[in-house]
Amino acid sequence: MCQKHSEISQNPSHFEGTAEELVTSKTVQANYADYTKGMKFFDPHIHMTSRTTDDYTALIDAGVVAIIEPAFWLGQPRTGLASFKDYFSSLVGWERFRSSQFGIKHYCTIGLNSREANNQALAEQVMEILPLFLYKEGVVGVGEIGFDDQTAAEEKYYRLQLELSKEAGLPVQVHTPHRDKKKGTELSMAIALEHGIDPSMVIIDHNNEETVESVLDKGFWAAFTIYPFTKMGNERMVEIVKKYGSERIMVNSAADWGISDPLAVPKTAALMKIRGISDEDIRLVTYQNAIDAFAQSAQINVTDFETPVVIDQSLKFNGNTVLRGGQIPRVDKNSLIIS
Amino acid sequence: MSYSVQLFEKIKEYASPKEISWVEAKTNGNIQVLQTAFVATPRFVSKTIISSTETINDVSINGWTLDRLVRVYLLTTLDSSDKAIYKKNLDTLFETAENNEAVALISALPFFAYPDYWLLRATDAVRSNIGLVFDAIAFQNPFPMQHFSELAWNQLVLKCIFNGKPIHNIQGLNERANQALANSISNLAHERWAAGRTIPAQAWRLVSKFMNDAIFEDICTLFVSQNSNDNIAAALVCSETDFFAAKEELKNHQELQNKNFSWATLEV
Repeated sequence: MCQKHSEISQNPSHFEGTAEELVTSKTVQANYADYTKGMKFFDPHIHMTSRTTDDYTALIDAGVVAIIEPAFWLGQPRTGLASFKDYFSSLVGWERFRSSQFGIKHYCTIGLNSREANNQALAEQVMEILPLFLYKEGVVGVGEIGFDDQTAAEEKYYRLQLELSKEAGLPVQVHTPHRDKKKGTELSMAIALEHGIDPSMVIIDHNNEETVESVLDKGFWAAFTIYPFTKMGNERMVEIVKKYGSERIMVNSAADWGISDPLAVPKTAALMKIRGISDEDIRLVTYQNAIDAFAQSAQINVTDFETPVVIDQSLKFNGNTVLRGGQIPRVDKNSLIIS
Repeated sequence: MSYSVQLFEKIKEYASPKEISWVEAKTNGNIQVLQTAFVATPRFVSKTIISSTETINDVSINGWTLDRLVRVYLLTTLDSSDKAIYKKNLDTLFETAENNEAVALISALPFFAYPDYWLLRATDAVRSNIGLVFDAIAFQNPFPMQHFSELAWNQLVLKCIFNGKPIHNIQGLNERANQALANSISNLAHERWAAGRTIPAQAWRLVSKFMNDAIFEDICTLFVSQNSNDNIAAALVCSETDFFAAKEELKNHQELQNKNFSWATLEV
């Protein structure tokens, strides 16, 4: 996404498509959705608490029918246990309900994130309340946990939470660090194996070209976050799928309060389609693999989002029935009149 | 037979032998076992829909899912002899509740000991914007009728009207009708009308006994409304009230008299 093609032509990378593909992908911008007609998507990593109702509308319009919201930090450290408790509650409460109003099935993973693991006094308290949330309906994993600065405290709470996941029979969603990623990824996997966790129960997130091979070789799921500037671009993602195929690979947006794109999954699917990746491979990396990985929690019932939305007129949101006949009330963004 | 036993008897009608033995095992443990079982119920109990005209402790369980019934039953087995411990155990569940757990907790309020203590939980459910949590206090639940102050009661009914929810499913709707509520309904209608909007016609059933000059003007407005449901509501109010001018006004609307309609006609 942030690649400059002028630079690529001077210094071609191995993931540049053919000249023909490049032309096509540059001309579809506005109507990329034409390439994803009839497709449905599952975004296994998106932080909706930081997003607006416009994003929910855009997601359902783009074919995203179900999402997973991992517990993470909120851009600044929390100062007390009650803020953690309220945050976890909101993931299984208000946000889950808000999402349902747009016809999107909302799941979450619950965990103590790596950054805040470094506040050990608070981390101890959070660990005590985690089991209260891990067994709830629709909690599909322990996450996102792992390393950030790769400190001893981070390692301690990562290990403790791996044990919790074993007890609860839940998959683990592992955040890999921004800095020194390769080392952090290797360490995360080694520790999970040391705890006797089956790699098929672990989703290693935020992979890139440097980490993917080792993750797949060891039998873990490899998730890729399509996030402008700091993580993967979707052109690079297309090349990854071309090279490694679709087995145990999944794509997510990790959209949050930063400059990110909630439509990263459908946009990547469109780009894969344009660049000649098969429909079946697209389905696997943008939908089915995420379901297969997280359904090991026994908390995903695909009929909840694969069958047409059941309209319950008793569910009202702030006086509006958002769902009526399956239609979301539309606000014309260009209209001066608000009625 | 205690309510708890009655709930368990009802569970046995719908649950499989495996589900029943799971429930039995969980009620024979300590408090942590019970709390964890409350959270984990949907992992072991199906969401079979209960179809029953019976009420237990004035609570209608018709349309509940089996896991909701089991959760409510589990809560009724809590030892309430030590008030402080009992409150703490339930408060923990309230504070960490996922949506379906919140629904079960709110549904179980009529079964709890120390009802006054739970008033804030009940009025917080009325404040909730999560539809299913709000519905759990508003409908099939005798707790508001039995324990709400007039102010809290009126807030519940008004929020239902405001959100177009079926007020006829509120227990005690007619018994707890009052002048302040009738006035508020009138005021709400004025605001809506000023904005070119409407209120559900059946809301007017709550003003019949509390008619005054201001509300009578509203009824006259309803008679000339383009919406036939408003016309019916106006006629029904006039036939129920003792307010003289309203009785007289009804005579001007022959077309609405002796028709076979009731408030049930307007229940949506």
